[in-house]
Amino acid sequence: MKVQRIAPKKIFARGFLYLVLVVSSLLMIVPFYWSVGTSLKLEKFVFASPPQWWPAPISIQSYVNILTRIPFLSYFSNSVFVAVVTTLGHVFFDTLAAYAFAKLKFPGRDKIFFLFLLVLMVPGQVNLIPVYRIMASLHWIDTYLALIVPNLTSVFGIFMMRQFLMSIPGELLDSGRIDGCNEFQVFHKIALPLAIPGIATLVILTFMDRWNDFLWPRIVINSEKLFTLPVGLAQLQMKNTSNEAQIMAGTVLTALPMIIVFLFMQRQFIEGMTAGALKE
Amino acid sequence: MSVAPYPNRVRRFMSKYSMPYLFIAVPVISTVVFLFIPMIVSFWWSLNDFSGIQAATFVGLKNYIQLFTADPIFIKTLVNTSLFVLMGMGIGPTLGLMTALLLNQKIRYQSAFRTAFYLPVMTSLVVVSTIWVMLYNRNGLLNSLLAGLGLGKLGWLSDPRVSLVSVAIASIWQGFGFETVVFLAAMQSIPRELYEAAMMDGADPVQRFWYVTLPSLRHVIVFIYIYGIIGSYQVFDQIYVMTSGGPVYSTSTIVHYLFSKFMDLRLGYASAIAYILFAILVIFSFIQWRFFTEKN
Repeated sequence: MKVQRIAPKKIFARGFLYLVLVVSSLLMIVPFYWSVGTSLKLEKFVFASPPQWWPAPISIQSYVNILTRIPFLSYFSNSVFVAVVTTLGHVFFDTLAAYAFAKLKFPGRDKIFFLFLLVLMVPGQVNLIPVYRIMASLHWIDTYLALIVPNLTSVFGIFMMRQFLMSIPGELLDSGRIDGCNEFQVFHKIALPLAIPGIATLVILTFMDRWNDFLWPRIVINSEKLFTLPVGLAQLQMKNTSNEAQIMAGTVLTALPMIIVFLFMQRQFIEGMTAGALKE
Repeated sequence: MSVAPYPNRVRRFMSKYSMPYLFIAVPVISTVVFLFIPMIVSFWWSLNDFSGIQAATFVGLKNYIQLFTADPIFIKTLVNTSLFVLMGMGIGPTLGLMTALLLNQKIRYQSAFRTAFYLPVMTSLVVVSTIWVMLYNRNGLLNSLLAGLGLGKLGWLSDPRVSLVSVAIASIWQGFGFETVVFLAAMQSIPRELYEAAMMDGADPVQRFWYVTLPSLRHVIVFIYIYGIIGSYQVFDQIYVMTSGGPVYSTSTIVHYLFSKFMDLRLGYASAIAYILFAILVIFSFIQWRFFTEKN
């Protein structure tokens, strides 16, 4: 009797669990669905009442308009270029410096590292205006240089990679030194291959950060052909407040590349993003 | 024991240490040029009247005094930002913990559900904001749903009484999946033996959550709140896209106000705002530092 009474209760509990999960997942998905749907609607049906859950007729006019009237493809290539170059910079410079801080001895090492840690607390907005002025005095405003040069390395990246490289045994590095490698070769041939998992995390964190960056490119870039995707989309939204289908076409085009990359590399992304939180 | 001549000592020092100094050269130069010097310059400007065009004139603490005593809009941005942080931190991590608890059961399609919660985290705030501007439109989906329930239309972003809440809702929706994923990963690393021991002592699921799960998540919870508070205090992208700080400054936040003062070429004033933000964040960084050094 008892067993029979528990079973339906359990089934009910499982059903409820799935119901909550499905409903809350829908709350996450519907805004995305709605933006794709809207981008495929004719402008006059965007705010139809009752709402059109399925666009009828399906129209790609908004995409055609966006791609022909606005240099959306150059926003995309600008975003890719800036994010890739800065990420490569981080991988090279942060890892190399982290290696020196983790595995080499030199005068002033710990003092310099301590000063690095202090700046970790400083919010970017404090430096924003002076760095803008530096860019202006170098005549770098409205060039790729302003987007790239100040962002080639980060204290956070060095800190993270140092934690990672500390775990590499010193004997392994010594064996390389005995074989006659110079310090850069030891780094390149022994430390770097062992640091690949850490570098993967660094790549994901940096790339996401640069790809989604908004305030800095908004300030230093004025010409449309140099806009990154977030700046271009914000501009489109401000100029076109009445044409919601076009704004959504732009939104979909902006969001799509990152979502595709994420769906293919989900495990790496989630591990990378949680690594920082859990290791603390 | 003869002392080597000076150039020799320099040469020996260089040959011994040139590699490590070379390795850290670019980050050190970059940090000095783009962080240390700007930090000091920014503080100096905060003590000046400075437009960026004319030379700066030293005014002492005038900018700070003016911000706190003669600029009601700034006080409003402080209140708005703090309310935004309170709403976000009051709801976001709790939602994250609840969803992580649901996902931590033996369920099918766990990773598909996790993806759903995580998708907005991957998406840029500008994208999320343009989507929510559409949902919040006077004739948009949310008002249609309200109408379906027999309720009136809400001016989600146009009514100053609700605009800040609307921005907060969109931001929570975007961000809590990060907390879900972090809590879930932390829960999965709690040793199974702890739960088995608790079950042998006859603990029910609520007690197991209270006495095993929650204490094991202590450090992650502190990290989530501090990281969340520091990040939320710097809110800008959503404000810029969704409301530009309006209507009537009801959604103006510290960084958005700083941005508008920068655009008005009041660089000294904007620098003072940046330093006030810095001071607020230092308090939370200090709490975090105290908490984590206590642990070790």
